[in-house]
Amino acid sequence: MKKIFILAISIACISTSFYAQEVKSEQKAHYNTSKFKQLKDKLPTPNKQHTASGAPGYEYTQQQVDYKMNIVLDEKNNKLFGEETITYHNNSKDNLDYLWVQLDQNMRAPNSKTNEIKGGGPDALYSPSKFTKQFMGKPFQGGFNIEYITDISGNDLNHMVNNTMMRVDLPKPLASGEKFIFNIKWWYNINDYTSIRGRSGYEPFSDGNNLYVIAQFFPRLAVYNNVEGWQNMQFWGRSEFALEFGNYEVSITTPKDHILNATGVIQNPKDVFTNKQYKRYIDAKTTYDNPVFIVTPEEALETEKEKSNKTKTWKIYAENVRDFAFASSRKLIWDAMAVKLNDRTVMAYSLYPNEGNPLWEEHSTRVVANTLKVYSEHTFDYPYPHATSVNAKRQGMEYPMICWNYGRPNANGKYSERTKKGMIGVVTHEVGHNFFPMIVNSDERQWTWMDEGLNSFVEILAEYKYDSELFPMKSTAKDITRYMSGDQSKLSPIMSQGGTVINFGSNAYAKPAAGLYILRQTIMGPELFDYAFKTYAKRWAFKHPTPADFFRTMEDASAMDLDWFWRGWFYTTGNTDIGIKEVKKFYVTNKPTERAKNMAKAYGITVDQLPPSLYLVSEDSKEFDKNLKKKKPEDYNLLSDYVEQNFTSEEKATLKAPKYFYELVFEKPGDLVMPIIVEFEYEDGTKERKQYPAEIWRLNDEEVTKVFPSSKVIKNITVDPDEQTADVDLTNNSWPKNKETKFEQFKRNQIKG
Amino acid sequence: MSLKKYLYILFLIPLVAFTMHKYYISLCEIEHNEEQKSLQITIGLFIDDLEFTLNKKHKKTLNLATKQEVENIDDYYQSYLNNHFKITVNNNLKSYTYIGKEYDDDIVRFYLEITNIEEIKALEIINNLLFKDFKEQQNIVKIKANNIHKTFYLTAKNDKGLLNF
Repeated sequence: MKKIFILAISIACISTSFYAQEVKSEQKAHYNTSKFKQLKDKLPTPNKQHTASGAPGYEYTQQQVDYKMNIVLDEKNNKLFGEETITYHNNSKDNLDYLWVQLDQNMRAPNSKTNEIKGGGPDALYSPSKFTKQFMGKPFQGGFNIEYITDISGNDLNHMVNNTMMRVDLPKPLASGEKFIFNIKWWYNINDYTSIRGRSGYEPFSDGNNLYVIAQFFPRLAVYNNVEGWQNMQFWGRSEFALEFGNYEVSITTPKDHILNATGVIQNPKDVFTNKQYKRYIDAKTTYDNPVFIVTPEEALETEKEKSNKTKTWKIYAENVRDFAFASSRKLIWDAMAVKLNDRTVMAYSLYPNEGNPLWEEHSTRVVANTLKVYSEHTFDYPYPHATSVNAKRQGMEYPMICWNYGRPNANGKYSERTKKGMIGVVTHEVGHNFFPMIVNSDERQWTWMDEGLNSFVEILAEYKYDSELFPMKSTAKDITRYMSGDQSKLSPIMSQGGTVINFGSNAYAKPAAGLYILRQTIMGPELFDYAFKTYAKRWAFKHPTPADFFRTMEDASAMDLDWFWRGWFYTTGNTDIGIKEVKKFYVTNKPTERAKNMAKAYGITVDQLPPSLYLVSEDSKEFDKNLKKKKPEDYNLLSDYVEQNFTSEEKATLKAPKYFYELVFEKPGDLVMPIIVEFEYEDGTKERKQYPAEIWRLNDEEVTKVFPSSKVIKNITVDPDEQTADVDLTNNSWPKNKETKFEQFKRNQIKG
Repeated sequence: MSLKKYLYILFLIPLVAFTMHKYYISLCEIEHNEEQKSLQITIGLFIDDLEFTLNKKHKKTLNLATKQEVENIDDYYQSYLNNHFKITVNNNLKSYTYIGKEYDDDIVRFYLEITNIEEIKALEIINNLLFKDFKEQQNIVKIKANNIHKTFYLTAKNDKGLLNF
């Protein structure tokens, strides 16, 4: 036995050196082009702030910004007035000469550059109002009007506005650990967002009332962090925000008959609600089963008939949030339900006009509750006191604790399944944003996918939980193939700044979500994936993560090298196409095959000197003898003797020699590497699955061969039968090749039907 | 038509694109089956985009792919296809048989066939489905004939693909 072993080893050694000499010398050299090459050339070098494991390091710092604001909503003139006192805490190790403040409303100013960068021909039609705004010198007078910027003693502060960013010069550099307090007074004209688009503004109703959804409404500090310094990339209108955490003390004066909710908790509910409403507001906090009204549909109908000239002031406090937004109108109904999350109870709220019913009272608050539960399971228990969904026409926009969502029935109160699906989808999505990016606070201006992609992924799981029939998640991978197989000149890698991509929705939402879905369901499995994903969320809750922190944490917490996946799916525009190219059946023989004979010759030994062996011979080769078909492997003494001598009788009982050997050749015309999932259907109708890890492609990116032993005859082979890998071309996925096309199958069924 | 309706049409699209995970792509596959002398065509469109376009065109609520879908929906589909999808074989504009449609989640797939096509020397496709209402719409046309594979990416600027063999 020992001798044979040594011989086998020496053959292996000879074979390496033998083939090494065969390499042709005129071929060109190249850099490492392996798809399994580590990502070190793409990711920033880890440091003590963002560590190699993907966690925040011990030198990680983050600024804090607190706001005290007095806001007045002037409904008559559609103006918003504000006075704010900002306390900026410099927790970084650096001295700061100036602060950057974001003026998002300036995107709508007459001199905004947002319109200047838009290409394209004329619109199909122009309303008179649009025509005058665009061509007749009467643009909407949007943008901030800053009345003063002063320090704590009332002295004016030097400042310079560069479009949507304002530099505030500090009287003396702000040292590490110090704070700077300053005041800004401002006002602006609120836009009708149904005609001048935007995520903030008001929706006018035919009854003369407005529904205000107000956001990006005050000058807000830009982020100063460990990787970008100041994140003061301009706001062009699409790529969202980067914001610091802080505490907000806000009072908002509205018409007396308005109903309002905001980021944070109302501090004076007795002053702003009627007695009945106040009682319901308190009772709701212990109502867990079904939503209950705080403001009823009847009350809202009654209130919207008239307009009060008096005002009232809502006092609100929000702790550790990155932004502040509010919705206000006399048309609003308010319903509520308490949600239990382990040892916490939080509130799910919905505010909507009667126009949203019956759809909204049936679903909104229930969807909010479901979203909080599912997201909490996958990240951390929702830490804020409430999550509120506000019905706003054609909006889908998120802020801490509060979001605007579309979806209304027809005038007769009826709604289609699609309207319902859209509404449940958008509420889940926008409430889900509380986790990404409101708490796991990535830089949206730079990396859209970090909030939209991660959020769209958890959204799939949450919607499935809410209504698995309406939201089957099985087709997630398949659905992205239409985008990924599109014209390469119109595709961008996910790792692109949001403002620069075509097909923004699929690039930054659907593709990363589908990628994570594939990772969870197919590559890592739910157990490994969920733990790693949760680790990322917990590590970066209330902090500013970067893409590398996510990629590294997913590997750090799972012991899976996923660099190949990040590289392909996130850094390139490649797609998946894996097929089965050839299938050969082999039989066992004890006669050396041509191949074995050649091997012996190459090593200068005779055939007799080959160690005693069995050989596999292909059914279609000349050497094949049809008598072999009748033989089982154990019919050969060589094998049966070996088994007899080396195994106990118990062991022997469990040994089973396969009858058939298949050589499977898989091809990969697609750029991406993926696991190969194969389904074998046997003659007797039974099926078996086998999944080969993606690493099967590590030595050959185009084709791999596997030997598959089987005790039954294989009738059909299908690659990726459930379409789990986003394979863009299924015509090469089956053996034998499907003769009947999908078209013919459909036609046949039509004629039958 | 009131001013309000105009605004609705104008502004619905950018706002939806703004917030939803959405892209504007259709896939048309054309294959010549020489044995059956047939040109087999499938076209997949997003149901919500097609519904928006058809509702607007007919000023009706058609409720595609729902229980409330209008009974003669195939008439609407056929007429829309005939206007916006044209196919010329060997310099002759051909009419096609509408075999049927299937709904597959958020996609509607049409099956069309042109029979008695023995040989293809030239194939011209005009596909401007959904271009009118969706600026970003991109119609991919994949052709398989005479053992040749060819893909066109058609947009509002160029809605025509011509293939000579």
